Amino acid sequence: MKSENYFINHKSQWCPGCGNFPILSALKKALAKLNIKNENAVVVSGIGCSGKIPHYLKTYGFEGVHGRVLPVATGVKLSNNDLTVIGCAGDGDGYGIGGNHLIHAMRRNIDITYIVHNNQIYGLTTGQVSPTTSLNFKSKTTPFGNIENPLNPLSIALSSGATFVSRGFSGRLDHLVNLIVKGIKHKGFSLIDVFQPCVSFNYLNTYDWFEKRIYDLQKTKHNTNDLFAAHKKTLEENKLPIGILYQIKKPTYDSLLPQIKKQSLVKQNISKVNINPLLKELE
Amino acid sequence: MERNEVIIKIGGPAGSGVNSLGHILSKFLQREGLYIYSSKDYPSLIKGGHNTYTVRAESKKIESSLDHIDILIALDEKTIDLHSNELSKNGAIICDSSFKIKGKTGVHLSPIPIKQLSKKFNGKYINSITAGACLGLLQLDLTILDKILKQIFSGKSEKIIKDNILAAKLSHDYVLKNFKYNFPHKIKKIKSPLKIFLSGNEAVALASIKAGCKFISAYPMTPATSILHVMANNDQKYNIVVKQTEDELAAINMAIGASFTGVRSMTATSGGGFALMTEALGLAGISETPLVIIESQRAGPSTGLPTYTDQSDLRFVLHASQGEFPKIVLCPGDIEECYHQTFHAFNLAEKYQTPVIVMIDKTLSESYSTINYPNNNLKINRGKLLSNEQASKIKNYKRHQFTQDGISLRAIPGQKNCYHICSSYEHDETGFTSEDPINRMKMLEKRERKLEKAGKEIKGYKIHGKNSKNLVVSWGSCKTPILETQELMKNKFSLLQIICVSPFPSKEVKNILNKSKNLIIVEGNQTAQLAGIIKEKIGIDIKNKILKYDGRPFSVDYIHNELKKRLK
Ligand SMILES: Cc1ncc(C[n+]2csc(CCOP(=O)(O)OP(=O)(O)O)c2C)c(N)n1
Repeated sequence: MKSENYFINHKSQWCPGCGNFPILSALKKALAKLNIKNENAVVVSGIGCSGKIPHYLKTYGFEGVHGRVLPVATGVKLSNNDLTVIGCAGDGDGYGIGGNHLIHAMRRNIDITYIVHNNQIYGLTTGQVSPTTSLNFKSKTTPFGNIENPLNPLSIALSSGATFVSRGFSGRLDHLVNLIVKGIKHKGFSLIDVFQPCVSFNYLNTYDWFEKRIYDLQKTKHNTNDLFAAHKKTLEENKLPIGILYQIKKPTYDSLLPQIKKQSLVKQNISKVNINPLLKELE
Repeated sequence: MERNEVIIKIGGPAGSGVNSLGHILSKFLQREGLYIYSSKDYPSLIKGGHNTYTVRAESKKIESSLDHIDILIALDEKTIDLHSNELSKNGAIICDSSFKIKGKTGVHLSPIPIKQLSKKFNGKYINSITAGACLGLLQLDLTILDKILKQIFSGKSEKIIKDNILAAKLSHDYVLKNFKYNFPHKIKKIKSPLKIFLSGNEAVALASIKAGCKFISAYPMTPATSILHVMANNDQKYNIVVKQTEDELAAINMAIGASFTGVRSMTATSGGGFALMTEALGLAGISETPLVIIESQRAGPSTGLPTYTDQSDLRFVLHASQGEFPKIVLCPGDIEECYHQTFHAFNLAEKYQTPVIVMIDKTLSESYSTINYPNNNLKINRGKLLSNEQASKIKNYKRHQFTQDGISLRAIPGQKNCYHICSSYEHDETGFTSEDPINRMKMLEKRERKLEKAGKEIKGYKIHGKNSKNLVVSWGSCKTPILETQELMKNKFSLLQIICVSPFPSKEVKNILNKSKNLIIVEGNQTAQLAGIIKEKIGIDIKNKILKYDGRPFSVDYIHNELKKRLK
């Protein structure tokens, strides 16, 4: 399939140069590469600039409330596990207000691909600090510099039992396409944290800033089965690895549910449920 | 006078088997053909608190409590101190012979060597021994005990069941031999078709299964928790995904995700959890996603009295979430209604593509009663949900198309041609965000039309009795003690029971209220919330109020006393 297949004629609300454009292109290309039919993909988003993404895709989309991408996506996946479910969230949405859901989705190994558009700032609300904003960064809510340590999503993912932990960069389209393809193919929860420059509100983490620091992990001798090596990689600060840090095989949550082994929930007939055996127990 | 009715209260420390003993006695008396109403009172503690379980048996259908008891089964001495004053004349206390109790006038002390008898079974089977003694006192033979224990202990070995029966027999014999006094409550068997004994939460869960609910996501919270338990116990039998979530935010959002995908889904909680769900409630409203929420009220605010009953979330539920959107709120008044309204809720949610909240309370959730086998002819109605075939033929699909009744065709992921976005933003007919003022008004009006239509379908009230002069108005679990009082007072009043608070049956209620002279409201809250809603909707101010907000349910005696004063 071609990526144009997912094109929808809808005016974009992103700023020119926004790091979200490459993520959108990469997602379309990945869906096309995997030949996923439009009707079988569901893109769930939250609120933020990132949350607009299902508006620009010819697939099913659900744009929920701020921070709740993963619960909605989980409900979708468990109801119809034939669907390809992709969650898209901002760093505020995914690591701040929705942070709790992330930890639990990862330990459950729900079969969802989760793309976090990590611009290290609150974009839609015009530039407040986010959980991943650098120390000392001056924003509208930290005019004298951020005094909170940024959280490290990848090391949280590794500690929470995520089975696919990776990082991409909006400035490396082909690499990102590849990462999303692998994430979707991965059976289980895949976290793809994407460095996504915000051209309007993040004066620090620009395309140039990242260009100077990133390197492709898969071009080194990194072993993606090695949890300790992966942990070490998350601690690098001056050089920033992109690619797959860690990947292992583990049973997915839905594969452990006998009630959907034969048929997904949505395909099950509900017109003649017989509860008489249950009533009998209450006699 | 011998009466074929009895009220037994079992008291003891939490964890001492109060509930299981109560359950055995309830089931036994029901199998003898009587109607049972059982209720629990317990603090929010696992060990150490004082628990009671009250079993009321009658030859007619009952679903409320009285203030007195006839037998007090004391599993500790404290129970006697706390509850012996509730005993009726010629009542009896059953307890271990070792308990130090002072003689009580007018009460039959029935000390049983429970601990000693249990020595034969390594100190076990205290429950069966106590049950045997109680059944002896009621002059019932133990023939059916075998059946009851087999059902209750399903999965346990034959030997354990046999030993339990033996244990019960020992104390049963002991009572028959040693207590010659004339205990006035001799239970006679009644021949009748088999009935079922269940709690409100069980009724809700069974109705959900029957309605084809395939997905429940919830976070434990008393008194709604056991809904999740029943669903979990049956998930593999009925192919239901039961998800205990990390919090209530996840619970409601998961259920919304499931429903968006086309399966019937639900969540269940109490006021605190519902507070966390309010934002997503509006999401279901604006995205027109069907959803069933069970809200079992307990005494708030905040953690409040977690294991006690209340009816003070009515306003909160009615107004929950920012903005305006259609919300259907149903308030069943007894266990049978819990079953029917929950089933109905699933149909309404899909028909009107909007959230439906079933409001119950601790009293309904955790009390048990005998009911007839529920009507099996309930029909599932999925509204305008498209089949795959219908969807494949549609061109230019619009998820939120403007229609006369406000309801649009609903396509689900996986269906060709109908891809769309469902959004928390205001949107145009296709689902794309739109901040256009005209579209905005049209969308609000479209969604509101659904509620208007629902109002025509839902019978939101019931009138009980034919007295046109005196009218008691109430809702929820107050229904049953009021109806029993009505019988005691020989139909001196009628009851108007409000079942659907949104959409509110304003026209009908107004007509009924206008015809009555004396209006009295009965509610389990401090501020008469339903009376407030009635005043707001139809301008009638019900000044005569019977309100209770001590965390305890209304008893028949309480309502009877209050109404006697007010209806001279
Ligand atoms: C419950 C709630 N709180 C606050 C907001 C306001 N809000 C909208 S988006 C946002 C943060 C956006 O930042 P991020 O998630 O990083 O996404 P971005 O816009 O940068 O893509 C906030 C605080 C909201 N919509 N809902």
